[in-house]
Amino acid sequence: MTEARTRIPSLDDPEIIVDTPATIYDAIPPYPPTTEREAEFYSLKDGEMLINLGPQHPSTHGVLRVVMKIDGEKVVDLDPVLGYLHRGVEKICENGDWHHAISNCDPLEYIASMFSEAMPVMVAEKLLDLEVPRRAEYIRVLAWELNRISSHALFIGWLALDLGAVTPILYGFIERDEIVEMLAALTGQKLLFNYLRIGGVNGDLNHEFLSRLGTWMSHAAQRIEDQQTLINENEIFIRRTRGLGVIDREMALKMCLSGPPLRATGIPYDVRRAHPYSVYPELEFDIPTRTEGDSWARYWLHLEEIKQSLRIIDQVLHRMPDGPVMTKLPRLLRVPPGRAWVAFESPRGQYGAYGISDGTDQPFRLRIHDPSYFNLQTVGLMMPGHLIADTMAIMSSLDPIMGGIDK
Amino acid sequence: MTSLSNPWNRLTLAGKVIVPLVIALIGVTIALAAVWLSGFGPWLIQWLLDTLGANIGIVRFLIATTVILLITVPIAFLNIFFEMKIIAFVNLRVGPNRTGPWGTLASVVHGLKVLAKEDFTPTGADVPVFTLAPAVIFLAAVMTLLVVPFAPGLFAFDMEIGLIYFFAVGGLSVIGLMMAGWASFNKYSLLGGLRAAAGMISYELPLILSVVGIVLLTGSLNLTTIVEDQSGSFLDWNIFRQPLGAMIFFIAATAEGSRTPFDLTEADSEIVAGFATEYSGMRFGFLFFAEYVNVFILSAMTTVLFLGGWNAPLDIDPLLNFFGIATPVTVVLDPGSLGFGLLGVIAIVPPVITLILAVAIRMLIPTWGFLRSLVVAFVLLNMLVVGLLLGWLAINLDWVLGLLWFLIKAIGLSAFFVLLRATLPRVRVDELMGFAWKWLTPAALINIFVTAAALIVVKSMEGGL
Repeated sequence: MTEARTRIPSLDDPEIIVDTPATIYDAIPPYPPTTEREAEFYSLKDGEMLINLGPQHPSTHGVLRVVMKIDGEKVVDLDPVLGYLHRGVEKICENGDWHHAISNCDPLEYIASMFSEAMPVMVAEKLLDLEVPRRAEYIRVLAWELNRISSHALFIGWLALDLGAVTPILYGFIERDEIVEMLAALTGQKLLFNYLRIGGVNGDLNHEFLSRLGTWMSHAAQRIEDQQTLINENEIFIRRTRGLGVIDREMALKMCLSGPPLRATGIPYDVRRAHPYSVYPELEFDIPTRTEGDSWARYWLHLEEIKQSLRIIDQVLHRMPDGPVMTKLPRLLRVPPGRAWVAFESPRGQYGAYGISDGTDQPFRLRIHDPSYFNLQTVGLMMPGHLIADTMAIMSSLDPIMGGIDK
Repeated sequence: MTSLSNPWNRLTLAGKVIVPLVIALIGVTIALAAVWLSGFGPWLIQWLLDTLGANIGIVRFLIATTVILLITVPIAFLNIFFEMKIIAFVNLRVGPNRTGPWGTLASVVHGLKVLAKEDFTPTGADVPVFTLAPAVIFLAAVMTLLVVPFAPGLFAFDMEIGLIYFFAVGGLSVIGLMMAGWASFNKYSLLGGLRAAAGMISYELPLILSVVGIVLLTGSLNLTTIVEDQSGSFLDWNIFRQPLGAMIFFIAATAEGSRTPFDLTEADSEIVAGFATEYSGMRFGFLFFAEYVNVFILSAMTTVLFLGGWNAPLDIDPLLNFFGIATPVTVVLDPGSLGFGLLGVIAIVPPVITLILAVAIRMLIPTWGFLRSLVVAFVLLNMLVVGLLLGWLAINLDWVLGLLWFLIKAIGLSAFFVLLRATLPRVRVDELMGFAWKWLTPAALINIFVTAAALIVVKSMEGGL
């Protein structure tokens, strides 16, 4: 009865994990090295130290954690640690019906949630082989492009903020604020819109939205251009972004990059043109590309894409057809069994979804392909050799959204 | 026995301050009355005056240091307010506008906030060094103010080597930053401290070299002499004699005060808050206090060295003479004339003016009650009197006008520092070093050579002719 309680070893037991009792002066890896790569990463050479960037760092865009091995100010190696925002969205989607999946997918890309909510909608429409009314398609394109501009405006501000400039982020928020207000007039929400529906959109264009849009469109192009003069021709900004985080064509394709980071390497891949969907084939717009593949090129592409989006909005407003915005669908929507892959261009790249239906009203599986996740993978290639200060410029220029990465 | 049965413990915080003060005051009064009644009074006063007169240097030093320490408080508050309001203006925001008129008291509230916060020391920190570091940083900043000549005759110390003292003591703050960075036991703090050391040591060199030209021109290291050498119109200021030196000094001063675009020591997007990461409460307050005072000091130094110090841009004495204002008003304070008449004037005139103002306000704004208009009238009267007094002082006392010009220039430069912060991104650390060693230092050396060569040519021509 008096014998000591025997410890039951468990993997979560901190005393088992750290074989030698660490002092506060030692770097403690989160788990015992399970792979060769981890063992190599967490063994330090002379003069190196580990530094924990995030998950509560001011500029890691949410809860990204990057363990960096640094030698002085130079980054030798790094290990991104994901999962601090993991909610199991894919599994949650299987437990609700297809309509619930829309609002569950909403917060994945919380800066531009009009895109992530399109995912279950488009999968279900493809499985149902549904003809969406043309007016609904045009409204979707309008909302998407507005959301793309608001996301890109924030991107520019964030990039400048991570380089130490305080003002551009607030200029970016001016545009975002106006767009968010008009989308709120359209959808009733400012951040997570929950506006797209299987077979159309929730509600037609209204007067407040159109009047706000008209006021904004009259000065948007000029004002965005004016605001960017603060950093566009700034010598410090250019020197800190040009030639930084370079990735070449082959590696970009190997790493499954998409969106502006891919187009910055000279590959004009845009899902809106490569695999057209919705009414994009009817609209005129260019796909700007650069060949440098560095942070500056990515910044420049975002600016150009804002201009192209304004072009698209202009055409959409001129061609907007009359008609219904929803198709007639049964109350209990049973999606026929099958598999469908949809892809579309979000502000960060190719957003994709692979849905499997077993004939019930719930998705059997909804696999989410998030561009931020694949874009963020390349930091391991881009960062070593740069300084700590450059990690922000590189990470920001990839524009990761942790909601979609951790899912 | 509970703690409350002790009368001391039943006192509130204010009571714990006031009660000992009252007791001490009563004691001092009784002692003074006893001394006076015993007949030692005149002798004691004579002794005191003699002692103070014999040690006038020490007395002057004590008063000057106290005043210097005290004026850092409004300076820092002003800079914090600028920081909030000017950046808000550039950002197209409103900025603070609730506490005080135009939010001017927001910075005071910030100060009270850091006073009330928990003072936290992290595990593993080197406690004595961690505690001392803010004091070292703050004192290194404040001690440089001792040699700054604010106005003719208004300085704490008129050192012959004032310029060297300024750079020597200003350089001490690196030690404080290194202490803070090392003792915090945080890798971000360490990086910030090392960045501070590297950056400040690199920029110390061009900062000092850029003023050698002025020293050559003036022939003195005394800051008062340097300012007096720039008297006349604004074309006599050193910024027009040494434009390259002024540019180098301003850039190096920006880096020395670790302000944007050279604020690498506390780059919030890279190394969280640098050396200040682990600080909280008033220690953090001291770090930022020191930073804002530093901004003012560097502006003041730029003013003294390059913008003519207390000198007005244009000589306005002829103008004043033209209107006959400059004739000094002499008030004869004859003890015999201080009778009931003067007392009556002092006692009657202010209430009468207050009443007249109150009636005028009441007629102009009928919705206000009489008490309210009375209070406003009293405030107005005080403002009027202080304004008249200041105007009289400005005309009659040389240094008030000098101080005014000095403050206008120095505070304008501080505002320019803030404007820079609102506009520019941050320079990378290697580019910062490269800029200092590859561009600023050679440029400063060229400036020295050109100035010296010009001086030799001018001197030899004067000698030859």
